[in-house]
Amino acid sequence: MKFIIIASFFIFCSAYSANSQDSFQSNNVVAKELYKELRCLVCQNQSLLDSDAPLALDLKKLVITKLEDGESKDEIKLFLVERYGEFILLKPTFTIKNILLWFGPLIFVAFGFFITFRFFRKKNLVYSESSILTKHEKEKLEKILDRDLK
Amino acid sequence: MIIELGHYCLALVLAISLFQFFVPALGVRYKSSSLMRSSFITAYISFLLVSLSFLSLTYAYVTSDFSVSLVAQNSHSLKPLIYKISGVWGNHEGSLMLWILILTFYSATVALVGRKLPLKLISLVLSCQGLIASAFISFILFTSNPFIRLFFPNIEGEGFNPILQDFGLAIHPPFLYLGYVGLSITFSFSIAALLIGKVDTIWVKWVRPWTLIAWVFLTIGIALGSWWAYRELGWGGWWFWDPVENASFMPWLATTALLHSSIVAEKRDTLKAWTILLAIVAFSFSLLGTFIVRSGVLISVHAFATDPSRGLYILLLLVLFTGGALVLFAKKASHLKSGSLFQPLSREGALVINNIIFASAAATVLLGTLYPIFIDAVNNSKVSVGPPYFEAVFIPLMVPAILLCAFSPMLSWKRANIENIMERIIAVFICSILLTSILVFIYNGSASAFLGVFLGFWLILGTTYEFIIKVGIKLSFKTFIKRSLKLPRSAYGMSLAHIGVAIFVIGVTVSSAWREEIEQPILIGEKVIINNMELSFLSINNVKGPNWIADRGEFEVVRKGKNKEFMYPERRFYPASQVNTSEPAIMSNILFDLYIVLGESLNNDKSYSLRVYYSPFINWIWLGILLMALGGILSLTDRKHRLGYAIKINNENISK
Amino acid sequence: MKKKYSYLPLIFFFILVLFFARQLILKEDPSELPSVLLEKSLPKIKLDKLSDYKLFNKKNLLQLNEPSLVNVWSSWCAPCQIEHEFLMTMSRSNNIKIFGINYKDDKQDAIKVLKLNGNPFYAIGRDDDGTQAINLGVYGVPETFIIDASGNIRYRHVGPILEYDMNNTILPILNKIK
Repeated sequence: MKFIIIASFFIFCSAYSANSQDSFQSNNVVAKELYKELRCLVCQNQSLLDSDAPLALDLKKLVITKLEDGESKDEIKLFLVERYGEFILLKPTFTIKNILLWFGPLIFVAFGFFITFRFFRKKNLVYSESSILTKHEKEKLEKILDRDLK
Repeated sequence: MIIELGHYCLALVLAISLFQFFVPALGVRYKSSSLMRSSFITAYISFLLVSLSFLSLTYAYVTSDFSVSLVAQNSHSLKPLIYKISGVWGNHEGSLMLWILILTFYSATVALVGRKLPLKLISLVLSCQGLIASAFISFILFTSNPFIRLFFPNIEGEGFNPILQDFGLAIHPPFLYLGYVGLSITFSFSIAALLIGKVDTIWVKWVRPWTLIAWVFLTIGIALGSWWAYRELGWGGWWFWDPVENASFMPWLATTALLHSSIVAEKRDTLKAWTILLAIVAFSFSLLGTFIVRSGVLISVHAFATDPSRGLYILLLLVLFTGGALVLFAKKASHLKSGSLFQPLSREGALVINNIIFASAAATVLLGTLYPIFIDAVNNSKVSVGPPYFEAVFIPLMVPAILLCAFSPMLSWKRANIENIMERIIAVFICSILLTSILVFIYNGSASAFLGVFLGFWLILGTTYEFIIKVGIKLSFKTFIKRSLKLPRSAYGMSLAHIGVAIFVIGVTVSSAWREEIEQPILIGEKVIINNMELSFLSINNVKGPNWIADRGEFEVVRKGKNKEFMYPERRFYPASQVNTSEPAIMSNILFDLYIVLGESLNNDKSYSLRVYYSPFINWIWLGILLMALGGILSLTDRKHRLGYAIKINNENISK
Repeated sequence: MKKKYSYLPLIFFFILVLFFARQLILKEDPSELPSVLLEKSLPKIKLDKLSDYKLFNKKNLLQLNEPSLVNVWSSWCAPCQIEHEFLMTMSRSNNIKIFGINYKDDKQDAIKVLKLNGNPFYAIGRDDDGTQAINLGVYGVPETFIIDASGNIRYRHVGPILEYDMNNTILPILNKIK
């Protein structure tokens, strides 16, 4: 059993390492990543990558030029946000302003578990109408359930 | 004349729908069964009249009657017949006509098949449907009338966008609407249940087929839209988390949660309030989708001609139906008494977790879609929420769901013993890791695909394993086959649908992680190499089509061990509408798609801008979705889902 | 389900409706972007001369020491032609100087338009590749910026200026900043 787990771990690692990527990425690759994160302002439902609009082409040229000048992704994004606002970013910034957006999903799940927990606490259950138990039987049932659910 | 008849029929149906709303409700209140029974007749007549109305509009399109304003704006005499017909619903007013056609169709079908249901229940359901119909018909008649005539008829129509003349696009709305409107049935049943004050097994058994029908149609409709976008729009993408795409995805997520929740409600008589709430929410998402697409509140490339005043009207509809339903829910939900207990680690527990995840997923998509409105109101700033956000939050939500999905069917009801299945879990885990590693190795693909592929294999192996165990282990082959044929179809449906999910996940993961693309100018005679395939740009020719002229490129594709193949991407020009489009050439098979897009000719020398995409396993995306839908259809054909079966069984039990 | 929790969906829905109602009542165009350069100083932009028209740069705008307009236009842009009339009226009657940025245009076409329809611009510059206009956050043509006497951007109007915009937006702002 242990052997199988260790063996699969090694197989997993070898698959991973067989595909070790070059840590250096060409400007073109970084540019493409950036294009995917920037919204086309003309065809507003496309990213710069997908859009052929003239402004999109201009912005793409700008990005490449800046990358060649050595600017980082963040610097380029900042440049564009200063001129066009955060709207140009397809990925909303991770700031206090957007805290509801980024933590929302987690809050929903937590809330879901919370409600379920409260709902299914033993005390809140009402027996279905069709069962008519005497007080004595009810106490007996409670005891049994107590034991079961512990 | 025909148009005027259609118009008149519609106005008549408004009156009948109002009757259908009031009278059966009064019948329930005053316990008059004849008043209640009137709902059947009104449902049948409504459908008949709406069909006539819809047919009259279709007739106008087919005969290119440009004296009708809508036809003049949206159609053209040169359009092929099939697109004239699909043009009926390719606009705001016409699509609403399709909506109520489907609504009255569903109402009539429910009336027909539900004749033997408790009269109180069915009358309330039909009454609710009547109200929905009245609301939408009044919306059509007062703000979006398709029957308006032009004082001076046009000689020719203006509607000739070639992008919209596509078969996939033509049938995508009907499927979606069959889904959206199908949810009105579960909604009406929920309202009826809340008013009556109880949700019993009959109710759940009766409602489940309708939920499945709506779910199947939604699934297919969404898949069609996505597949069409991929093949036609030219950049190899298939989902952009656009507000209108999300508007169809949210009801789908809610309906999936509803399907699973209703299983618990049926088997264990619990989670009833939750099931009712989901049914209300699912239909509300349908209405919300209608609102988003037509109000102009959010930018979307799909949006119909938007109009804030129409938006206000739809908002009122939302307030009436969702608001009203939620008020009813708030008051009456606590009266729905729950039947049984269960341990957290049990089939019920797993389904509850599934519910939480899918409901949270729907809420998350809603949050991301509407967030720009929220932040604009609160902060007066413009923020955009695009695919990077949705992908970042959606995937972590779905991973636990998929992990759970493989093994939940193995958990027993009420209280499950983890030790029994631990061995199976480990076995599946190891095999999945192995298979994934092998695949990654063969394709020499990046390891970023590892998690997605692993989840896919995990789900396939787990589902298959569970199926085998259900039939029986340690059996001879013949006995195994015999026994497996005896399994109820809903068991097959579930397994097939879950496998569909797995295939979908693998398709999504691999097609994006291991995708290769080339974007460069190319001269005639030049070659490019992508994924060990050699593409040669042979020539450019002028071609003519029925309503277009094009530059067609000829590419020769050479793959190892295969004969030469040819692909022909085009750049088309439609004279009637002065529009240029790019038709990609796509080579599709189960293992990959090769996608060539020919751009404009550059700088007047013989070079053209070229984009080539190699997307491995991309067709697994749509294959997976198709399997999900097939699973749903299989389940529907199960005896126990036969509409009316629940009543029959109940009657038999009573007479015993 | 406990009674008080069952009211939660309703409350949540109600809040949602309020947000929607606000959007509908405001009747904003969601694709229109407000400039993020409001209240900031006009960015330095480097433009090329158009024939022998006076060249627009930040210096000669500031030298005026009065509110002015900066209009981004092209000869190939149809709404710009519609707007041209109003620009002519404004430059004559309202005594306001208009600076023009000729955006991604052909020199000869631009000169032709000005000769044909009149020149409303106090000074013009060419931005042939559109990179200078990016510094202003321009995302389409035409766009018009209202600049106050100290050279700060006070408002950006997207699309052509028509009579309605003139009377209800542009003039009130101009009056305010005088």
